[in-house]
Amino acid sequence: MDNTQKTGKSTKRLATARELQQIVAEFYLEGHEAKRTGKPVGWMPPMNGLIEIFYAMDLQPSFPENWSPVCAAFGLIHKNYMTAESMGFSPDLCGYLRNCVGYINGLMGEEGVPLNGLPEPDMIFIPGAGCVPAMKNFQYIARRFPNARVFKADLPQVPIENIQRYHIDYALSEIHRIVDFLTETTGRKLDMDRLAEVVRLSDQSCALWDEITSYRRCIPTPISAAEVGLMFVLVTRQGTKQAVDYLTKVRDEVKQRAEQKTGIIADEKVRLFWDNIPLWYNLGLFNYFEKYGGVVVAETYSAAWSIRLDTSNPLEALAMKSLQSYPMVSCVSMQRRKDMVLRAVRDYHIDGVILHSNKSCLPITLGQMDIKRALEKELGVPSVVIEADHMDPANFSMSQFEDRAGAFMEMLLQRKGRS
Amino acid sequence: MSRTAIDLSPFSDAIANRSERFIRRVKKQKVFGWFCTYTPIELIHATRFLPVRIYGGMTTVEKAGTLVPNFVCPYMRTSLERAMRGEYKYLSGVIQGYTCDISCGMMNIWAENSGLKTFHTVPLPYNTNDSARDFYRKTLNELIDKLNAAGGKFEMASLSRSLDLYADIRNKLLRLHELRRQNIFNPQARDFYTIMEAGFCMPPEEYMEHLTKLVGEVEKLKSNPVSGIPVLVSGSIVEQMWIFDLLEAAGGRLVADDLCNGRRFCDPADGQGKDPLDRLIDRYMHRFPCPARSIVDDRVPRVKQLVEESGARGVIFLFQKFCTPHLADYPALSAALRDDGIAVLPIEMDESGNIEGQLKTRFGAFFEMING
Repeated sequence: MDNTQKTGKSTKRLATARELQQIVAEFYLEGHEAKRTGKPVGWMPPMNGLIEIFYAMDLQPSFPENWSPVCAAFGLIHKNYMTAESMGFSPDLCGYLRNCVGYINGLMGEEGVPLNGLPEPDMIFIPGAGCVPAMKNFQYIARRFPNARVFKADLPQVPIENIQRYHIDYALSEIHRIVDFLTETTGRKLDMDRLAEVVRLSDQSCALWDEITSYRRCIPTPISAAEVGLMFVLVTRQGTKQAVDYLTKVRDEVKQRAEQKTGIIADEKVRLFWDNIPLWYNLGLFNYFEKYGGVVVAETYSAAWSIRLDTSNPLEALAMKSLQSYPMVSCVSMQRRKDMVLRAVRDYHIDGVILHSNKSCLPITLGQMDIKRALEKELGVPSVVIEADHMDPANFSMSQFEDRAGAFMEMLLQRKGRS
Repeated sequence: MSRTAIDLSPFSDAIANRSERFIRRVKKQKVFGWFCTYTPIELIHATRFLPVRIYGGMTTVEKAGTLVPNFVCPYMRTSLERAMRGEYKYLSGVIQGYTCDISCGMMNIWAENSGLKTFHTVPLPYNTNDSARDFYRKTLNELIDKLNAAGGKFEMASLSRSLDLYADIRNKLLRLHELRRQNIFNPQARDFYTIMEAGFCMPPEEYMEHLTKLVGEVEKLKSNPVSGIPVLVSGSIVEQMWIFDLLEAAGGRLVADDLCNGRRFCDPADGQGKDPLDRLIDRYMHRFPCPARSIVDDRVPRVKQLVEESGARGVIFLFQKFCTPHLADYPALSAALRDDGIAVLPIEMDESGNIEGQLKTRFGAFFEMING
């Protein structure tokens, strides 16, 4: 198998994107520093409000799921998959799960792992919502670190449009249970004023992100999906001043580019939308369309990380966030997701949609054919299905991609009279 | 050729004629479909509707293939195919307990494409503490409202009667499992699971009548040991009965299972509580766990216990291809079994059924290895 053709970094146009490498390195360094100084480290899934509680209690969050794209970028995934496979994990399972169990049972602790890898957990949070692979991932993490304290979380999984008071109450009761667990385990208490400040910062980050994405309405767009790495701060730094400061800088740059009509490429001919998770081992794919004058203006992935919070009621705001983020981009709330894609296509003046049929993520892939039909029927916007995998290059063929994407771009150019 | 002299035709007929029976049935009672054994069917029954399990089986997937990718499990693909062909027109809707990602997503695909009216997913809690129980109760109350809105009439007293009926059914089924384990009731595995499956597509009152008669006859049997290497099968749903035939032809004897069309449907038979809703909640919270609803380390000892009690010398994992919950539990579960000296064999079933030759070889080698 020739992996070289399947991997590639994206070409970034934002000057602020260059700072990202440092931000990523600092986050992992902070984790190891926490371990060294005795600050408790908790491994958790993202997207659920836990991160704000951690920062408010001055605890160190760590995200094994987010470590997987880092492994993809550093070329560690093949070795991790080999370890997972030797343990009996099927190659049909999600790449995040296989990469993570492979890493913790293989490379973890070895010399020379980029960023020194993940710091060992003192606490592990097994989710009771989100996708099954994420739940199983944390179950295996708990097996690997028997000395860590384990919290088994629970959360109602309901479509956003069906959320009722009793769902919020149960999510709230789980947040209280988590706070009690953290207090008992670490001896630290949650200061509600500090939590209010963290929630305010978290909301501010989301507001900034929303503002950044609003500039995508501009023609030419000042920012493309090739900058999706920016999401790292929304995944790992929600509720911190670092996130707000960094996103403010990004916003300023994007705003300036918009005002100066500086596009991603010289002649933006076709505007595209990417549905589903990016190919972490080949973010350069977002640049592929540029030779046709195409720019991937927007994507589904970032929507789940930007949820505005009611800062007047911090705990309930986190409960609401935990209820919304996964259903927003998955098959739990298919109507909502379809509406989101259609709205983005209208708002960002999209000419064509790329539907990534993702072998590693069925919950996001299910429903794409209904989205495809709605795009055609309601908006007259064509789409193309690309079969790939967000984590495993073995499930992606560059030549097949080129055939399909190339034909799609030719068709879009012809429709716009720009061929 | 059946291995038992007992007449099993009421069960096999119910399966063979399920569509015709339901089409006739809907003239006097609404029928709701369900996928997963975490669906509170007692509650559907208590609102005077008939709950029936949606059947997938083996069939060519064409229409469903235009709606979902090929890495969806065969059960979900073939059942959607049947829905798209109009084979489930008799259903008033689908009620489902939230279990795996796919059943949740497929509900939405059905809602969009099947033409049926009512769809509802019950968001089940994972924990069993007081707040989880309270939450569970509220989810069931919401389901009751939905069923009432669909023309049902719920009463606590009727739920109590439904719970009694399904507890009786489950106790009879557990008794059959026990008599199989004791090598007293020795039908071919395909017959055993035909009895189980009939319960998914028959009104429970009628099923109970046939089960009562059957168990009565089986209880009179004298020990009539059948030879073969005792094995347990583990997986989600197995609709391809011919796989059991191959297993037995290769020298195996199925003594226990961890299947959702087997033991997981009936263990435990009942729950306890201060009122019927609590009793229902208690039963579902403490039922034999499916990997989609449990932590692998909580499930491993339960399966190991089944293996030990049944005397199985091997465990055959019959996976629906792409079934994440079962595939994900396999590494921990298989390692724990191997540590106990139990041989394991993983098999993936697809919708084509083109694995007969491969299975013959693998089953043969597996039993030869166990025999040493």
